[in-house]
Amino acid sequence: MFSEDTILLFYEITDVIIAGLSTGSVYALMAVGMTLVYGVTKAFNFAYGDFFNMGGYFAWILIVGLGLEFGGYPVILLIVMPLLFAVGYGLEKLLVAPLRKRKDWENKVMMMTLGLALFLTSLYMVVFGVRMKSLPPILEGTLEVGQLVFSYQDIMIFVMSISGILIFAWMLNNTRIGMAVRAVAQNPVGATIVGIPKERIFATTFAISTVMVGFGGILLSQKWFINPNSGGIIMVKAWVVTALGGMGSIRGGLYAAFIIGMLEAFVGWMFGMSYGIIALFVLLLATLVLRPQGLRGKGE
Amino acid sequence: MRLKHMIAIIGVCYGIMAVLPIFVGDIRFVMNIMIMCLIWAVVASCWDLMMGFAGIFSFGQVAFFVMGAYCSGILAIEHSVPPVLAILMAGLFTAVMGVLVGLPCLKLAGPYIALVTFGVHMALQPVLRGKIGIAIGSGGSVGLLTIPPVSIFGHAFSSANMVPTFYLTLLLSLSCVLVIMFTIKSYWGVAFLALKDSQDFAMSLGISAFKYKLMVFALTSFLTGIIGAYYGHFYGVLSYRMLDLDLFSILMVMMLVGGLGHFPGSVFGAFLVVAGSELMAPLGAYRAVTMGALVVILVLALPNGVMGLFIGRRKRLSAG
Amino acid sequence: MKKILRFSTIWLFLGVFLFSPTVMAADTIPVGVPIPMTGWAAGSGADYFKGIKMAIDEINESGGLLGKQLEIIRFDSKGFEPEVVMQAADYLCGQKNVASVHAGWAGWGQDVRAYGKYDAPFFADDGSQAAVDIFKEDPAKYYNIYQTTDVGVEQAKSMFRALMALPYEYPNKKVVIINTDDSWGLEVGDTLEKSFKANGWKVSKRETVPYGINEWGVILSQIRRIKPALIHVEIPSGQENITFIQQFLKKPSNAIISLGWGITPREVVDALGESADGIVGEMPSGLPGPKAPNEKAQAWVDKFVGLYEHQVPAGAWIAYTAVKAWAHAVTQVGDAYDFKAVNAYIKENGYEGELGRIKWDQDNVLRAQSGAPVVHYQVQGGELQPIFTDPPLTPYQGSQFLTPPWIK
Repeated sequence: MFSEDTILLFYEITDVIIAGLSTGSVYALMAVGMTLVYGVTKAFNFAYGDFFNMGGYFAWILIVGLGLEFGGYPVILLIVMPLLFAVGYGLEKLLVAPLRKRKDWENKVMMMTLGLALFLTSLYMVVFGVRMKSLPPILEGTLEVGQLVFSYQDIMIFVMSISGILIFAWMLNNTRIGMAVRAVAQNPVGATIVGIPKERIFATTFAISTVMVGFGGILLSQKWFINPNSGGIIMVKAWVVTALGGMGSIRGGLYAAFIIGMLEAFVGWMFGMSYGIIALFVLLLATLVLRPQGLRGKGE
Repeated sequence: MRLKHMIAIIGVCYGIMAVLPIFVGDIRFVMNIMIMCLIWAVVASCWDLMMGFAGIFSFGQVAFFVMGAYCSGILAIEHSVPPVLAILMAGLFTAVMGVLVGLPCLKLAGPYIALVTFGVHMALQPVLRGKIGIAIGSGGSVGLLTIPPVSIFGHAFSSANMVPTFYLTLLLSLSCVLVIMFTIKSYWGVAFLALKDSQDFAMSLGISAFKYKLMVFALTSFLTGIIGAYYGHFYGVLSYRMLDLDLFSILMVMMLVGGLGHFPGSVFGAFLVVAGSELMAPLGAYRAVTMGALVVILVLALPNGVMGLFIGRRKRLSAG
Repeated sequence: MKKILRFSTIWLFLGVFLFSPTVMAADTIPVGVPIPMTGWAAGSGADYFKGIKMAIDEINESGGLLGKQLEIIRFDSKGFEPEVVMQAADYLCGQKNVASVHAGWAGWGQDVRAYGKYDAPFFADDGSQAAVDIFKEDPAKYYNIYQTTDVGVEQAKSMFRALMALPYEYPNKKVVIINTDDSWGLEVGDTLEKSFKANGWKVSKRETVPYGINEWGVILSQIRRIKPALIHVEIPSGQENITFIQQFLKKPSNAIISLGWGITPREVVDALGESADGIVGEMPSGLPGPKAPNEKAQAWVDKFVGLYEHQVPAGAWIAYTAVKAWAHAVTQVGDAYDFKAVNAYIKENGYEGELGRIKWDQDNVLRAQSGAPVVHYQVQGGELQPIFTDPPLTPYQGSQFLTPPWIK
């Protein structure tokens, strides 16, 4: 019925869509954390990409450095996630909270996190060396459906990213902490009046976002390796996705993540992989001109 | 800060710089660093004018620097434009680009301006390296390797004769910084302050946000473009590597150290950061770690940068 | 006013103290090593440094050069920004007055301009035609600049020869070429494309990619549709090659995979191990190992492996050899700072290394030659095994090309 060429083309397009979905899910994970932190605390974190790497490095220390064999990844996650939470909480209390009292604190936080990013990137290079590190994959092997190939690893990354986001969304809507966070995001003054400990919520939010992005780091480092220099690029990508989606909207961030994932895949397929980033910013510019608050952001 | 304090600080900084060649004029390496200080001082000051003073969150300063550098280089190489003229034209070109970038930014709020201008920065690299770049003569990934030095009345100002080149750089840097200073102290400066503090109120007084924001873009891009073009002619080579995030971070640190919004802090900040970076060179790989840590500590301890040490107690209270 | 006075004194102090020249110890000979210690190129930098340090330590242990110990003066080239490259030259040659400069990747042309202002012998490993073109502008001025590998164009031609000489029947004449968007990738990619076309092959896809690309799904699905007999990926960085191979192997096509220079970063074989078996690639100015072609070379490989606990990465041996070549010239001339004589000696005589004599040509380039050949490798048993040396293209003693396991 269809010529062989058409069938092959169909498979190819499907492959492109899958690549887009796969990348999109990762971007979603990265963006949700940033949206959360920005939406609630209005703090811009330049070191976001380095937190991503932090997750990967912690996992690496456990698996490769200490040779933790038993339990596999669930144990690793059980150890690393609370660690990330503690680091995030501690950093917020130590570094961000003092700045909040000052005039122009948004600028100051941005600058401070820039210093933090510099510090972390160089620290990783000094402690872990300049070579890239890899983590053993959770799952190996592939699933073949006709001509299409899915690697279990990709499927798992996709599933875990989406699950992570869903769990997080559930938590935001159905737990007391979640509601406290949303209250602070909507109206910090009102929240304080009602008795919500604003400072603690800020720190908690920061900590949660650190956990999320660190988790993304662990997931992705199996596929993409831990590169100490990649912090900047990751932060930029997360930022673009977040801004496109609207800087306080989680659902917007999700849509934006997949749109950007697909855009990159299709632009790469049609024009060549070098044009991905130009397309990205063209899209961003176009969107911001038409809707300055992003896809689903609330007006400023 | 009062005008005469500003002039005093600028005078001291540049004055000392002007005197140093007596001690170190024959040490190429040191002269090189000092010239870089003078160049970065202008870029940092322009950025400070934009972000600290006018309150526009632009992340495109490095992009404009590179645009100016490449524009002048291409004019000089491909079209045999004499360097001095090329530098001027590059400045004008960059100013136009600044306005073009500024136009869409005016509708946007703070962090979005940062994103769009950063987008310009990120998109510039593939453009320069790709087919468009090669077509206009950017040299693609190889970059420009044969930019002629500035020559005035037959004297070439290049790294072959450092001392005269140093003084030329000093002059250029000082002029740019003075332009910024007078802008801040002029009617424009008051307008910027008003817009930054309370845009709606200022607009109700008849200050056109649109016009002033565009002017900031135009002015800072012009100066940055000029100094970028000069950079190209001094080193004779240009590469897209300047668009890596290193330069971006260092300039931010300079503004930070100097004190954001406290002109002429960035000038001092530029000198301090470069000097500090060199002092820490023996640390080797640990230098970057130390610098990062210092930046964090600095933001926490000195909210107004080094300039904070100079603002009188009275002023500090009123500035909040 | 007091405050202003206070800060201006601090500033003056900083200026003079910081910038005063350091006193050089008279009983050492300083050698400049501008290699990236931070930034994106730090990994490659570390490889070159290993070779350089091995040479310097060797010389120092056997009594030094002209009786004096060699002292390494490092400078962080970071990302090779224009001002950093210039500063490196001014610092090492101008301020520290080094007797020679040894680098790996050095700036792809910028370094020629920077170090050409001085006379100390300068050795770089860019393999860049752009750098050679600058040399040709003024050979008298740039006489102290030496390239330690052949340019990308020639290396690509060698890769082509090796690929055509493989004892393997290509099922068709379709090739896919993927390269990075920098001067190296474009030089190699363009040359390969020309060579293939001139030999009746069809370049079904030529893709220029940026660094940092990790998601190969789209390109791989295009490859599966095209069904080429040969895929050449030219990305001089470990990460992209590793992710490409891993994703390729999930559903491999029947194609020979050639990673060009990209097979040489140690992390490629380290990360992939035996799953990389079958991939071919090349190392320019290389010393074949683990089994070297003669005793001297074997001793060298064994010493390197003993010191660093891994096989020889790209550039380490030739960086070592450059140091030795310079030291030998200095010994013959008798004065480390008689730059004209030292350079003339190096140019005239070259150096007798582990594989025989090497000589720089009239463009001061160490072209591929029997003393410093391009070595073509195939991954076998999780390690790089030499299969050819070039020129002339000769199968390597004691080893042979094996059909990759993924080809049915």
